[in-house]
Amino acid sequence: MIFLSFTKWEPLSGYDWWHAPIGGVPRFVEAFGDARLFWALVRTTIFVAVVLPLEFLLGLGMALLFLGDFRGKKAFTSVILYPMMMPWVVVGLGFYLMFQYFGPVNLLLLKPVLGEGGMMDWFTNPVLAFSVVMMADIWQWSPLMFLIIYAGLAAVPSRLVEAAEVLGASSIRILRTVRLPLIRSLAVVALIIRGLEAFKVFDIVYIMTGGGPGVFSTEVISLYVYKLSIVYNNTSYACAVSLLIMVAIALVTRLAIRPLEVKVE
Amino acid sequence: MTKTVRYLLIVVVSIWTLAPVAWMVSLSFKGPTEWYAPNLIPIQPIFDNYISLFIPTNPIGGSYFFTSITEPITKPVINSLIAAGLGTIFAVLIGFLAAYGVSRYRAGGTFIIFFTLLTRMLPGATFVAPLMVFYASIHFIDTYAGLILLYTAVTLTYAIWLMKGFIDEIPPEWEEAALLEGASPWTVLRKITIPLTKGGLAASALFIFILNWSEFLFALVISVTEVTTLPVQISKYVSAVGRMYGTMASLGLVATIPSLALGYLIQKHLVTGFTFGRVR
Repeated sequence: MIFLSFTKWEPLSGYDWWHAPIGGVPRFVEAFGDARLFWALVRTTIFVAVVLPLEFLLGLGMALLFLGDFRGKKAFTSVILYPMMMPWVVVGLGFYLMFQYFGPVNLLLLKPVLGEGGMMDWFTNPVLAFSVVMMADIWQWSPLMFLIIYAGLAAVPSRLVEAAEVLGASSIRILRTVRLPLIRSLAVVALIIRGLEAFKVFDIVYIMTGGGPGVFSTEVISLYVYKLSIVYNNTSYACAVSLLIMVAIALVTRLAIRPLEVKVE
Repeated sequence: MTKTVRYLLIVVVSIWTLAPVAWMVSLSFKGPTEWYAPNLIPIQPIFDNYISLFIPTNPIGGSYFFTSITEPITKPVINSLIAAGLGTIFAVLIGFLAAYGVSRYRAGGTFIIFFTLLTRMLPGATFVAPLMVFYASIHFIDTYAGLILLYTAVTLTYAIWLMKGFIDEIPPEWEEAALLEGASPWTVLRKITIPLTKGGLAASALFIFILNWSEFLFALVISVTEVTTLPVQISKYVSAVGRMYGTMASLGLVATIPSLALGYLIQKHLVTGFTFGRVR
């Protein structure tokens, strides 16, 4: 792969890859000047930056909601847990069907509230299409955040909370000064793992928009590399780009793994 | 927070999580005339969507569809079962031995084990180009062997990390005691470690099966006609000529049922699985 990224080879060139002429560094230089790669990277970063905090906050909210005992807790927990077990493709499909022009979101939510003009054509507008993709990801992975945070919150010793209550702290203050600091390391691990996973997003984008509308208005990095390798058959350039991404992520992961080494029980 | 507010919020959250699947269930029982209507409960419930998964030329609700799908669903289902099943078995076998080595003998030090984590963090798409070149030269494209090998490699990280957690829980003294009694390392593994970690192993296997079952990118890349798995079949329906929304929904549900069933079985271990045993 490293060899290929230095060459100019395509499966249709007519000779085997080990005979490819060494093109040298230009393949990497090409990557730095590639606007499409740049925007795919930006888009993926935006995706992670939007999705991650929302998932965390939603997970935290749900965890606080489920703290303590109430009737039907088990049943409700099972209900909100299932998205993360679904195949990614099916999640994409589900949101694709929901956000069709004649889908339930337009007909049941937007039409009654905003009238006929409020119906939106979700998949022809780049911003809307991308936000649907984000919604699908948030839908699927908030439950994981919920589970992690809930486990952390439930493990906070109740005598700490009670002590704070006796001292007259409000419930928001307890949350801020007692509960959250105690689950911080747990939250960091959850955020890192989820962040790195979110960076890999591929399935739901492929199913819902395929990178469109247009040619590449919702294209994320995985999709672009996939297209380079399979659709455009530009193997050696794909290798160069892949290698750059790999190095970048390896560096990030190396830094990110440090907090992971702290054993969380 | 009062009780009513809490229940209200919980119901809102539940609706948010249930909505997409509820709509898919509804669509899958509707005929083409109702696909564009907002009613959740079909006026004339039909099973044609499910039937046409097996017989693509089957009329749905009386109307024929011109579609590019000619393949019945049976083959993708079998393919998915073969690839996910065998991939899981190999990953568990290799993963268990690797995890045992790492857990008991610190094999490879901390670097190797964290290196496996790194391969997991890289986007799968970055492996596609070199993989295609490699697979093309050993004629593995569109074969079961290619898919199974890939699935084993991809889920091995999960297997190692998950099972390492389970093995770590067993006190090594028990094994040492058996060794002192004269048992060979293999006997110890067979008679002590494996029986004690049985639950954990089963959970890991099921978790890995779910991952393999849902895998899309590599299946998409490798399969041409022979080894299309269920997720690939879904993507074919989405891009097919003639938008058969109902059939898409029914196919999605069929693909979901196994993962949900297995997922609830190992509900306790899901977090451990998704965070590589970092959180338990």
